[in-house]
Amino acid sequence: MKNFKYIIVAFLLLAFMFSCKREDPIVDIPVRYGNIGFQFTNNVDGQALRVDTLIYTNAAGNNYLVNEVQYFVSDIILQNNNGTFFSLGTGSELHYVDSDLPATSNWSVSDKIPVGSYTSISFTFGLNEVRNISNAFLNPPESNMFWPLFLGGGYHYMKLNGKWIDTTSNLSAFNFHLGIGQTYAHDVIVVDSITGFVQNYFTVTLPNSAFIIREDKTTNVEIIMKIEKWFNTPNIWDFNVCSATMQNQAAMHLACENGATVFSVGTIQ
Amino acid sequence: MKYLLKKLFFGLAAGFFLLTSCTKEIPITEVYVGDSTKYDPKPYTIVSPWYFPSQMNIPADNPLTVDGVFLGRTLFYDMRFSGYQSADSQMCCATCHVQENAFECGLNGPFPNGHPVGITGIATPHVMLPVVNLVWQNNGYLWNGLVNPNNPNPYQQRLEDVVEIVVEVPFEMHSDTNKARNAIAAIPGYKPLFKKAFNTETITFKLMAKAVAQFIRSIVSVNSKFDQYLLHETSLTTSEANGFVLFVTEQGADCFHCHGGEGNPLLTTYQFYNNAKDTVFTDPNDHYGVTGDPMDHGAYLAPSLRNCELTAPYMHDGRYTTLDEVINFYSEGLKSSPYASPLMHKLPFGGAHLTLQQKADLKAFLLTLTDHDLTSNPAYGPPPSFP
Repeated sequence: MKNFKYIIVAFLLLAFMFSCKREDPIVDIPVRYGNIGFQFTNNVDGQALRVDTLIYTNAAGNNYLVNEVQYFVSDIILQNNNGTFFSLGTGSELHYVDSDLPATSNWSVSDKIPVGSYTSISFTFGLNEVRNISNAFLNPPESNMFWPLFLGGGYHYMKLNGKWIDTTSNLSAFNFHLGIGQTYAHDVIVVDSITGFVQNYFTVTLPNSAFIIREDKTTNVEIIMKIEKWFNTPNIWDFNVCSATMQNQAAMHLACENGATVFSVGTIQ
Repeated sequence: MKYLLKKLFFGLAAGFFLLTSCTKEIPITEVYVGDSTKYDPKPYTIVSPWYFPSQMNIPADNPLTVDGVFLGRTLFYDMRFSGYQSADSQMCCATCHVQENAFECGLNGPFPNGHPVGITGIATPHVMLPVVNLVWQNNGYLWNGLVNPNNPNPYQQRLEDVVEIVVEVPFEMHSDTNKARNAIAAIPGYKPLFKKAFNTETITFKLMAKAVAQFIRSIVSVNSKFDQYLLHETSLTTSEANGFVLFVTEQGADCFHCHGGEGNPLLTTYQFYNNAKDTVFTDPNDHYGVTGDPMDHGAYLAPSLRNCELTAPYMHDGRYTTLDEVINFYSEGLKSSPYASPLMHKLPFGGAHLTLQQKADLKAFLLTLTDHDLTSNPAYGPPPSFP
């Protein structure tokens, strides 16, 4: 009688296991893969950036030059036509772009991407709080982007350095730097009065970024930073009002609002 | 299961932290053991805290070995290295690179005011840079970055090339590589050292330069009070801590964009900047002289601030002899020019305008960057004997 009980229990367990199996796909369709690569370019007013050349005028009327631009993009997500999302994974979580280091403008992503039509590309500008950990990068050039612990730690999302002709007709420097912001207890901007930190990273969804991944082929997508957009949409930026952003959360907030339209897609091939 | 995995992860992380935290202890090895002439290369390991760069500038054709470093150390301190016979004409690397002064000549060294002259009395174009932590320098050697991996001249690309340049230029050893090689090759006792280091008794200058470069790459400064603070082994005084805040904040002295901090413990980016100390630029040996980029007029290497207490005089031309003078310059002395680095954004105001207390605090922090292990480690000093 005892043994009979065991047989019943075993039978029920087997029945349960096989009942689960029914949910498996009936036909195994092999997933085919291709590759994706990104080329990061920097434009001003529709033309390729010419560094150290005083030829640009922003919406506030400042005559300016760009010396260098360095930034992180991270957590790229590709939206498939079928509604699914593909996140670039281990080893491809982020990329550093540096106008002084041409090799950084090309990023061959190691992830294999399922073939198909994709409707859009989105990414995080900067680094989110999970990735933005001090000493995460031990080596240059990324380590040179470190953001002091006193100010929230981690790394600059971006350094955009240049000069403009100020109201006294002198060539002054601007350091348009983005990273973790601070809130201060009072108007005196000192570390002792910091009451909290603000994550300033933001998501960019590239307009007109549909593309196709073909089997065993690499699709190259050009991502353009339109530098002048940092200074005009929706907030008009006057360097005479703010030329250094790092401990100025109000300024970084406005800058990040402008960041929403800074990036676009160029050629896809 | 998740809990167990979490525990395992944190256990491993803690173990890793303990292991790496132990690496701060610098091996001090005075006596070179081994009398065999057998070639048995043992890798030489650079030991540094976990937050130092993991990538090192060690060429594939010149890996550090215990015997190579020892040979390099012997040559570094051997006055016959310059190739001259007469004792009053002899010179070696250590003639100028004095360990007690963090491998610069210092103000109290062999040259008045720390301005070096070569073996024939010709002044060097610039004052010295320390040969410390060069194993992490990837962006060009010398004040102007002349020796860099992208230099089209294949003899001006690596640290090994710097050794050759030092032997040849009139304002240093004013010798030539054949003379230097012949002087060393004539000493029988060197043959077994080369055999052990490079598996050959045929002494060439190329091997001499490789050995010296190995020794120089072994010289690291990783145990200052600031390091001990980062490793939570000590705390900074109130003044030092205030100085640290000034060092790494844009509203403070804003030193960190060029000179690093807790996220860049080399205390330099090893990049080239015009730091707004002049209005006219006529030095043919500035970074512009290397790149031809007009924006590099008056730009020089940002030196590491590690051991800056010992490395006076300061700036490429040694115009300042004290840290106080340097701090005053960055506080009130910036000079406007079209070539000043954009990072010198306090230029319109003449500088950071620090109070006297802030200046004292900043200096107190800078003094925490002195590494007494570097200056006293016998492994970086002269060998017990010369061949």
